[in-house]
Amino acid sequence: MDLRAGDSWGLLACLCTVLWHLPAVPALNRTGDPGPGPSIQKTYDLTRYLEHQLRSLAGTYLNYLGPPFNEPDFNPPRLGAETLPRATVDPDVWRSLNDKLRLTQNYEAYSHLLCYLRGLNRQAATAELRRSLAHFCTSLQGLLGSIAGVMAALGYPLPQPLPGTEPTWAPGPAHSNFLQKMDDFWLLKELQTWLWRSAKDFNRLKKKMQPSAAAVTLRLEAHGF
Amino acid sequence: MALFAVLQTTFLLVLLPLGTYQRKVSSEPLPLTPESLKVSINSTCQCLNLQWSVHNLPYHQELQIIVQIQISRIKTSNVVWVGNYSTTVKRNQVLHWSWESELPLECATHFVRIRSVMDDAKFPELKSWSKWSSWEEVDVQDSLGHDTFFLFPKDKLVEEGSNVTFCYISRSNQNNISCYLEGIQVHVEQLAPNVSTFHLSRVPFVRPKGTNIFCDVTQGEDPKGTILYVSKVLEELKDFSCETRDLKTLNCTWDPGSDTALEIQPSQSYTLFESFSQKKKVCKHRNWCTWQVSQDSQEMYHFTLMAENYLRKRTVHLVFKLTHRVRPMTPLNFFLENINSTNATMTWKVHPIGNSTFLCQVELHHDGQIIQQNKVFMEMNGKYLLSEMEPDTHYLARVRCAYGNHFWKWSEWIGRKFTTLEAAPLAALDVWRNVKSVPGGYNVTLFWKPLSKFHANGKIRFYNIAVENLDKPSQFNLSILAPSNNTALILHKYSYQIRVTASNSMGTSPASVIVISGDLGDKDIEEERVKGTEDGFSLSWKPQSGDAIGYVVEWCDHPQDPLCGLQWKKLGPNTTSTVITSDAFRPGVRYNFRIYEVSTKWIASLLEKKTGYSQELAPSDNPKVAMGSLTSHSFTLSWKDYSTESQPGFIRGYYVYLKSRMEQCTSGFERTVLSDAPANCEHKIDNPEQKTFTVENLQPASSYEVFVTPYTSTSKGPNGTFTKVTTPDEYTHMLIRIILPMILCILFITIVCYFKIQWMKEKCYPDIPDPYKSSVLSLIKSKENTHLTIMNLKDCIPDAIEVVNKPEGSKTQPLGIGKSLTETEFTKPATYLYLLPTEENPSDPGPCVCFENFTYNQAASDLGSCGHIPVPPDAPPSQLGLLNSPENLLKTLEKDYTNTLGEISAGETSLNYVSQLASPMPGDKDSLPTDPPVPAQCSEYKMQMAVPLGRASSPPSEDSSLSSIALLDQGEHYR
Repeated sequence: MDLRAGDSWGLLACLCTVLWHLPAVPALNRTGDPGPGPSIQKTYDLTRYLEHQLRSLAGTYLNYLGPPFNEPDFNPPRLGAETLPRATVDPDVWRSLNDKLRLTQNYEAYSHLLCYLRGLNRQAATAELRRSLAHFCTSLQGLLGSIAGVMAALGYPLPQPLPGTEPTWAPGPAHSNFLQKMDDFWLLKELQTWLWRSAKDFNRLKKKMQPSAAAVTLRLEAHGF
Repeated sequence: MALFAVLQTTFLLVLLPLGTYQRKVSSEPLPLTPESLKVSINSTCQCLNLQWSVHNLPYHQELQIIVQIQISRIKTSNVVWVGNYSTTVKRNQVLHWSWESELPLECATHFVRIRSVMDDAKFPELKSWSKWSSWEEVDVQDSLGHDTFFLFPKDKLVEEGSNVTFCYISRSNQNNISCYLEGIQVHVEQLAPNVSTFHLSRVPFVRPKGTNIFCDVTQGEDPKGTILYVSKVLEELKDFSCETRDLKTLNCTWDPGSDTALEIQPSQSYTLFESFSQKKKVCKHRNWCTWQVSQDSQEMYHFTLMAENYLRKRTVHLVFKLTHRVRPMTPLNFFLENINSTNATMTWKVHPIGNSTFLCQVELHHDGQIIQQNKVFMEMNGKYLLSEMEPDTHYLARVRCAYGNHFWKWSEWIGRKFTTLEAAPLAALDVWRNVKSVPGGYNVTLFWKPLSKFHANGKIRFYNIAVENLDKPSQFNLSILAPSNNTALILHKYSYQIRVTASNSMGTSPASVIVISGDLGDKDIEEERVKGTEDGFSLSWKPQSGDAIGYVVEWCDHPQDPLCGLQWKKLGPNTTSTVITSDAFRPGVRYNFRIYEVSTKWIASLLEKKTGYSQELAPSDNPKVAMGSLTSHSFTLSWKDYSTESQPGFIRGYYVYLKSRMEQCTSGFERTVLSDAPANCEHKIDNPEQKTFTVENLQPASSYEVFVTPYTSTSKGPNGTFTKVTTPDEYTHMLIRIILPMILCILFITIVCYFKIQWMKEKCYPDIPDPYKSSVLSLIKSKENTHLTIMNLKDCIPDAIEVVNKPEGSKTQPLGIGKSLTETEFTKPATYLYLLPTEENPSDPGPCVCFENFTYNQAASDLGSCGHIPVPPDAPPSQLGLLNSPENLLKTLEKDYTNTLGEISAGETSLNYVSQLASPMPGDKDSLPTDPPVPAQCSEYKMQMAVPLGRASSPPSEDSSLSSIALLDQGEHYR
């Protein structure tokens, strides 16, 4: 690769600009403010904890639904649960997500999933299951708050729910109870996938927030570079 | 004729309309034919709803008709149901009827037709079926939608135990569709080309979330399934009851049974309905409901409780009079007052119900049992005196009340625990003593049994002991703190009266008196054996004096323990027998009983002694038998050290068992019959004190085995080892009789010879006269030439030495020695040179003649005379005849090698010699190796060395081994 004179001048100009803006980069202003790093780490930890918690809850709930939903090889096509936020994404797309979009998608997904989960809790027949679901909802609410905290620390605004798009847990008249169970199954499965994805998201974010050149780049990018 | 024609015309005129009517009836449709039949489907209940009317009823009044309904499936000829429906009908009335299909109606086309008939006796002419209506077809498959698969019924709710039929419509002509009930595949039958069914019988309740039916359709399609909700059967209402506690509110309760809640069905609801007031109340709780009593003095109530869910209703009725269902509230303000040792007063109150009185039940409990029970009538305040209670006792007093006007139910109990106060002990202590005479007095130990709770009347704090000397008026008191039950006193040899009392916080018990006599009067009373049983020992005795005030039987529960556990039993004066029982009695333990007679002066004197076992056991061990007096025909067995007293049963005798090679038992022994006997021959000794036994009539020089074991009334002792006895030979005894006197005779002769040796010597070996000391010599000296002398051998100078070779195999010389001599000539030529006079030895006093005495060990002699000859270290071990084993050999070799090279001193070697030179040798023995024994003067005897054979062959001791082995090595070496 050969560098031309124009390129050298461009690189020099870019470097000067970076140096000019360095005092304004929050990541480098470490005079007492630990930055978003700890809260990202906490969010990551909470995600892993919820993963573990959901594993137990899903087992209980799927047994409550009965076979075939609690069978390990039950893997129906995801046709009914269209309203659920989808966690699966193409790897290239996932890699190309910027932090704001990444966090926004997480926040929106958990907002919807939490709402569905509360509906699930209302339908549960046994007190023990209701207790477990309520406990998980509380934890998920905590995760949502944690993500909001990270977004606020990074200066991202929280996504505003559109009026009238609040998901409800009211099966339509054509919706059979069997399909409702299928939706419950997919809700838990999607939640599990989201927690797995979030762990990866926050891990990626955590690495980015480390005090390195990458962190500088990140912050510069965040400030519009 | 005209009249006839007129009549005929009239008749015809009358008949004509009638005929016209009849024609009209037969040609027109019958009036009951159903019209406007409409059929619709209710998918929820799988019902066909029919609707029709009967327009042309002949009468305006309401008529009873029977409608026959025919239902076909798929095609009209496939009739699946025919039934009658009886109802009343008016002209133009629209009728409704419903039929529940087993098969979901979506899965097949259904056809319906109906007809009717009059069911009224007033119109017999209409008693025939109308015509069938036309077939009405019902098919909803076209309205299902565009999916390719449908499973019916959807989310059906049934009761547990119902039969349910499922069907599916597959428009994709797919045949390999599997359906699963809770993960288990079900059997599917084809109903029509696109329709299949499966049937579930007696479905059970699985979960509130329903039973899943899932069909595995083509990949990629939305999974098809449905849920069957199986509800538990709503149970009959049980235990429905209403009561009031205050005549203001009724409380109704019932047993609700199991909950029938499902995801699509809430829990069953309960409704209370009162017929007289026509009031209704939906109950909030599953098993109880309150009802406000009306203020209009309604006395009678008729309640209907209805339980209901989506599938079933249950009702139960209850009619009662309000005042007959009064259960008062729990009494309040319950107190216990004036509690003393036997009495207490209890007071309480009840909640008033109008002006009614109350019936109250009072109970007094002790240790969980009802002691007193009574009923009292009262208005508002209750009071009851509890009496006849025991002092210092825990009680529970409680009360409950019922409505006085009409008994319905008791209220709950209210009560309290309390303890009565103590009182002075009621009875005297049961006291006994153990008296042991010690120098100058007695050692008296007093024992007493604690008072029973009944007699103690409280907690005993201490025991008072008052000791009064009856001979020398004096008294002393002492107190023993409870719960001690004994004390020891040391008294002088006087008579004493001892009074023992127990005290609690409220007083002292009556005294128990014992008198210790100055004279113990111990009598030598023979011990009598008694036989115990599992129930105890039955003892009886003979009264000694007629004025006994009682008897005491004394024994120890643990006779083997130092503390013994003294027990006693006091009996009345008229008793001469008793049974002693104790939980401490154990089989195989000997218990000794002493029976005392208590006189009017409270003095106890020993009456009888008894001993026995509650159960005799087999002897625990066998005697150690000593053998004695062994002869060729008999021996004596003795076991005098064997203690019969320490055995777990009375020893009744002994069995002596004898084993021998003889087939017949010796006299005195009998052949045993029992298979468990240790030997074939046994002798029974019936006297336990006989502890010796002589086995006689034995064979000389024979081996016998003998074993002695005791026996009790139960069994023999344990098996033990036999003692082997071999009788001596008969001639040995005789030999001893002969040889012993002979030895004594020889010894006697030897002693006599020793003391008379001089005499013997003089007689047998007189002294050879010495020519130098001869009197003849003195005579010659004095009278003849002084040159005349006697030739002295010392003056002889030998000019030649002749060595005489002894022939081999000489009896006086062992072969080895002879050989060594030959070898010695070549290996040790210097040996003899020492003995020969040489000119290089000017100090030699003179020529010498050396004589060898071959009766002595030549090799030793060589050693002794010729100094140290080392054993070569490579001497073959096999040549060391004294060494027995290779180990010894190696050790010895090592040792010998070291010793022979430098450690064996000449002195040590010389210790093996016994110098028998007639004349003293010059130098000491330490110089032997370096200075061979060269006599200063030649003598007549060669140095003689005697090595005792016994010593040479004896095993080497720690000190002697080196020298003796070295010596023998040399000997062996020269072989």
